[in-house]
Amino acid sequence: MGNIIVNVLIAFLIGSLLLGFQRKVMARIQRRPGPPVIQHLLHTLKFYVKESSFPRTAAMPFYVAIAATLCGIWISAVIIGPVLEGSLLLFFGIYALHKIVEHNAGSSSGSPYGKLSCVRAVFSAAAEMPLFAVLAIIYLQTRTMIISDIIGYQSIHGPLLLKLPLAAMMFFVLILSKAPYSPFSITKGKDIISGYETEHFGVLRGYLMISESIAWYMLLWIFLTVFIGGLSLPLYILGMVIITTITAFINATTPMLNPNHSVAIQVILAFVGIAGSIVLMLVM
Amino acid sequence: MNRLRTGSLTALILSAAGIIYALIFNPPSWVVYGVAIFLIPVFILSIGILSMARPEEDEAEDRVDEPFIGY
Repeated sequence: MGNIIVNVLIAFLIGSLLLGFQRKVMARIQRRPGPPVIQHLLHTLKFYVKESSFPRTAAMPFYVAIAATLCGIWISAVIIGPVLEGSLLLFFGIYALHKIVEHNAGSSSGSPYGKLSCVRAVFSAAAEMPLFAVLAIIYLQTRTMIISDIIGYQSIHGPLLLKLPLAAMMFFVLILSKAPYSPFSITKGKDIISGYETEHFGVLRGYLMISESIAWYMLLWIFLTVFIGGLSLPLYILGMVIITTITAFINATTPMLNPNHSVAIQVILAFVGIAGSIVLMLVM
Repeated sequence: MNRLRTGSLTALILSAAGIIYALIFNPPSWVVYGVAIFLIPVFILSIGILSMARPEEDEAEDRVDEPFIGY
């Protein structure tokens, strides 16, 4: 239990700082001073103790429970990932649940912006094909779905990033779609205010932000573990900083795509990734 | 709001008890995972609800019972 609590705390703190760092990098690219790196963490704590009220249109207790669900599923990811080094398939299930939370958080609030986000969450589920393809390709290459076995495979055969670069690209697109201000982040697009989070303010917003920090850490952790191998904590942090910087560059220089284009591009990238990876596996 | 505070306090005590039990008594793995997945989120949420700022007494009704009536 102590191990789980420590890992959850590490995920929350590092995830928060990385999201703050992403905002800082984006601001510098756009020639703004930007907020301090700890701003995301400060925002989380500020919302967490802020006076809150609950909209009359909210479907209680679902409106509160869905925020708790998001926290629960990403704590599950921490258990499956750093604590147990368990199955990647479970991680896929968690990612699918994240989509369901986006959908239900949007529909439970009664806000039209939340409902639009809810529809977009369903729509963008088609873009999960890259993740499923990544799992299949990793299995074909390593013959296992267990993270600890994948780490073992890489310690013998070298990082999967070099063997399956297109699968890594597909997973990176998935990470990008979960980054704030990303071209693929259609469920939280600024055209629908804050999407499914619009009517979750005050303590519930802080609660959602805690879960999102853990989610960001976990997505980067899975990427680094599956495509580079088991690393020490400093190397994990270095890798996470590099990936966060890359996503910040992309987000700062790319407009948000409309939902159709977002899904279409992710599906096209998935097809390219699947076909390319199969060709690479046959050739190498 | 009092119902909310009472409920949160109860949830805080129960979740804290569950987490402490899992920390000290070393129960089977599935119990630990269950406690972590269900009780840690409840613990965080209940602390948040209990520690969030309160409105002034005279304006509490307006602030808490939001005037918004739907779209």
